Amino acid sequence: MRIEFILNGEAVAVEAPPDITLLDLLRDYLNLTGTKEGCAVGECGACAVIKDGRLVNSCMVLAPQAEGCEIVTIEGVHAADGGPNDLQQHFIEYGAVQCGICIPGMIMAGEALLRQNPHPTRAEIRLALAGNLCRCTGYQQIVDAIEATAKGRRAQP
Amino acid sequence: MPLFDYARASTIDEAIALLNDPRWVSRPLAGGTDLLVQVRHTKPNFQRLVDVSRIPAMRSVAREEGEIRIGAAVTYTELVESPLLCEHAACLVEAARLVGGPAIANTGTLGGNVGNGAACADGVPPLVCLDALAHVANSEGMRAVPVADLLLGPHQTALQPGDLITHFTFPLLPAGTRSVFLKIGRRNAQAIARLNVAVAGRLSADGRIEFVRVVPGSALPRLRRFTEVEDMLLGERPSTALFEAAGAAASRVMVAATGRRWSTDYKAIALQALVSRALRRVFRMQESNGTHAH
Repeated sequence: MRIEFILNGEAVAVEAPPDITLLDLLRDYLNLTGTKEGCAVGECGACAVIKDGRLVNSCMVLAPQAEGCEIVTIEGVHAADGGPNDLQQHFIEYGAVQCGICIPGMIMAGEALLRQNPHPTRAEIRLALAGNLCRCTGYQQIVDAIEATAKGRRAQP
Repeated sequence: MPLFDYARASTIDEAIALLNDPRWVSRPLAGGTDLLVQVRHTKPNFQRLVDVSRIPAMRSVAREEGEIRIGAAVTYTELVESPLLCEHAACLVEAARLVGGPAIANTGTLGGNVGNGAACADGVPPLVCLDALAHVANSEGMRAVPVADLLLGPHQTALQPGDLITHFTFPLLPAGTRSVFLKIGRRNAQAIARLNVAVAGRLSADGRIEFVRVVPGSALPRLRRFTEVEDMLLGERPSTALFEAAGAAASRVMVAATGRRWSTDYKAIALQALVSRALRRVFRMQESNGTHAH
């Protein structure tokens, strides 16, 4: 079936079977492999993307459910020059990245939080990451990086 | 060959027509947070999913006369963000807040939570505590079923093929009634409930319990109000001793129904604590010394 939606700001139309997930659509039909498959049952958040402004696990969205939606994946998160944006830069600076498999989902969860709440407390940042597992960092550096980004974005005019 | 086909409904009538099309075995799809996990592990027992997640009539929360109406495709996040529910259904809002992480809360729906029929569903004890009706449509028309009667046992519901839960309604609780929801999971966030409980209650002018509902979840094969516990509370004055006795009674009701199982040593103690804590919260008793704070 034909599925049309806005992907990282651009209209896309793709022929795909009706029984695959949005995750498979992104990775196998649109060649956007930044979104990762971790558990595939909604426990780990590695596949998180932003759908119509809200964080979702793309492994739990059926591909046809993306029809007409605005989807942002990790490939759509970057600075104007294509390099890392402030959140991604803070992840690097704070040592929030080790093996990296959770990071696309962590960045999407962080972006989804900061779009809705520019003043998150540390507790709110932790809640926003409740569905994202990281087995390397112990989360502190990830929380630090998101906190620093929130502070930096608030300081901008 | 795809394992199943997909169709999107834009109205309830269209969904009912699609679900009852004799050429296909169809099943409703809302958030998909349970369904897409199931189809990954087991061969689907349907040929087509009918997407009901965009039907406007199933997506709103409204007050109608003396009752609240919640569309079955309302997500947990939308429940939490509803001022109406925050005012009139605190237990349901608290349950929605404790479902999954943000990504699951943004996707999963109340109707899906009930229709999936899991014994641990966090949305169900609050609905039963609020005395909610599930409104079910099929090709013959609509019927209203108490939520407690819809759930026959773990993953067994009274829903028939072709049925669609369109919305829930519940009467406003008596003025001044408070309700709470508490849950024990294996971790603080994104946890499946080991036990949960919804409690609503109100004191009379002279400080006696004149209204109370106690609905533990994940405790019995078939969820229901613990009227045995409610009866021992009605007419009494709140006290730590009373609520501990009520917790112990809830625990006895559970064990009498389920028998002793591998989890009973844990669940019996945990349910006792959970029920007495929920009662202290509803009747605003401080945790430490049991003094009654208004």
